[in-house]
Amino acid sequence: MIPTHYFLILSALLFTIGVCGVLTRKNGITIFMSIELMVNAVNLTFLAYARQFHQVHGLIFVFFIMAIAAAEAAVGLAIFISLFHHRDTIDVDEANLMHW
Amino acid sequence: MEFAIFFLFAAVAVIFALVVVLHRNPVVGALSLVASFFALAVMYVLLEAPFLAALQVIVYAGAIMVLFLFVIMLLNLQHVAEPVTRPVQQFLGYTTSAFFGIGLVYYLSKYAVFNALPEGPFHADARTIGIKLFESYVFPFEMVSILLLAAIVGALTLSAKSVGRPGASESGAEAR
Amino acid sequence: MAFDTTDILLSVLKIAIILGLWLNVTPIMVWVERRGSALIQDRPGPNRVGPFGLLQSFADALKFIMKEDIVPAQAHKWLYTLAPTFGLLPALTTIAVVPWGRGFLIPEMSLFGRRLFEGGRWFEPVIANVGAGILVIFALASLGVYGITIAGWSSANKYSMFGAIRASAQMISYELSLTLAAVSALLVAGSLRLTDVVAHQTGYFILFDTIKLPAWNIFSPGMWLSFIVFSVSAFAETNRLPFDFAEAEAELVAGYHTEYSSMKFALFFMAEYMAMATMSAVVTTLYLGGWDIPWYNEPPTFLGFLLSFLAFLVKVGILMFIFVWVRWTIPRLKYDILMRIGWKVFLPMAIVNIVIVAAFIAAGWL
Repeated sequence: MIPTHYFLILSALLFTIGVCGVLTRKNGITIFMSIELMVNAVNLTFLAYARQFHQVHGLIFVFFIMAIAAAEAAVGLAIFISLFHHRDTIDVDEANLMHW
Repeated sequence: MEFAIFFLFAAVAVIFALVVVLHRNPVVGALSLVASFFALAVMYVLLEAPFLAALQVIVYAGAIMVLFLFVIMLLNLQHVAEPVTRPVQQFLGYTTSAFFGIGLVYYLSKYAVFNALPEGPFHADARTIGIKLFESYVFPFEMVSILLLAAIVGALTLSAKSVGRPGASESGAEAR
Repeated sequence: MAFDTTDILLSVLKIAIILGLWLNVTPIMVWVERRGSALIQDRPGPNRVGPFGLLQSFADALKFIMKEDIVPAQAHKWLYTLAPTFGLLPALTTIAVVPWGRGFLIPEMSLFGRRLFEGGRWFEPVIANVGAGILVIFALASLGVYGITIAGWSSANKYSMFGAIRASAQMISYELSLTLAAVSALLVAGSLRLTDVVAHQTGYFILFDTIKLPAWNIFSPGMWLSFIVFSVSAFAETNRLPFDFAEAEAELVAGYHTEYSSMKFALFFMAEYMAMATMSAVVTTLYLGGWDIPWYNEPPTFLGFLLSFLAFLVKVGILMFIFVWVRWTIPRLKYDILMRIGWKVFLPMAIVNIVIVAAFIAAGWL
């Protein structure tokens, strides 16, 4: 039986790596993947606590987070595709006008 | 024994997460993220939730990352060179995330509540989750289905103006 | 989770048996495919190498090993080499949750003066009897998409890329109808474990107070739609005709494995046949009663186990022959028709079947 704080440290580490990715990279897809990494780190925290307190509510939350992350990935990638088609660049710093 | 598995797959998850964040090629990044998700699924099994582990592989590694890979491959993004981040931004980014990480671990260890693990088995199977979904959480359940419908319509609308093929496989992969 | 040496040794034995069987599926199926297709097309087929061409698979294996391994200059080396492994992963791992025989009690015995299996040990012939049984199959099968996508993309060849995109879109579309069709069989059994699904099918249906039918899911009318959907989606998942537009010989050269030669191509080949065998095993478990011998209550002894294992192999073998039969009988579906019926016909059929089965269960008929 692995104590809960091991999982919390792992999830904090993954979250930090995700934050680093979002802050440092300029590729839209890589930023998106770092966000997914952060969401998964949070999932791990939820599950660690669900097992800690033997509550099913943590599991349900993770279930919903997965469904919503799927929807978000789809819409986010569609936005990225239309951005790419208009500006022909993957650099998110180039998307700096309110309209063009 | 469990500790060996935990440390092995924790190392796998962290290393592949680092590859995602540091490697130039987005295809390699996407595949490393798949490996990282797989390692996280093993973590979920260690947390006595095999149903969610299988769901993690099906939804995240099997659907969302396929969507990512499709987008990267169809737009030929591996040939579009990502401009190098300015050194100022790099330095600030790394130091901020380092401080954030250290602060997170510090506050976690100071304030997190750990009771002793309760006795008895933890039922995290499909039956328990299903019962709870249709009893207490039926409203969020229905709202998520409407949200998914909105996401499908949104993705189709956003990509419809582009060439037909990316839109078709986009919506096909997304609705999965 | 205490387990001792005997548990580990028994698990290793189970893995050895299944791996030994599954790795040998490819040579056997190559022979069956070539002689079977020859039978259907009224020609002799391979009959030079060994009696009835039985050693043809060895000749093929030797040819594959001796061929030059070409890597295209512009291919991404790492991913190009890694892609067949991705294809092999689902083929080899999904069979771990399928029960292949009746569980039996190993009696206490003494060998070389030592007492083994004290108090009798229950041997459950399934490698990993996890609580989320069938979800593991779907999870690992959805990883098979990566093999094809990466293979097509890393070959730096536009025909491979087209084949890869088509194949992956087809696979993810039919995964949906596959999963939803399997839900009907799981609803009836009330559990996700495949051992429970088979245990549920060992009973009997009594018709008109006289006829005793084995309670296989294929004999209950509420499941017929889902059986059709599941079988057809199994064809689509393994990229077999009539759904192999992605490989489409004579149209896309060879689709996503155009640029692969010698052992890497052999790996794709093996992965396809093993996936076929696993899908047949899942279809027998869900619909044909798994290891259940009709009209015979297998006792929980070693003899019962052997007979049930044999029954399982016979059923899987018949289904694999049907795979080969269909391949050489039905023409290939055009890609847009294939995608259209996947989404517009099979998915609604699977959902309607869930409603039907749920209604039957609520009415107490199942």
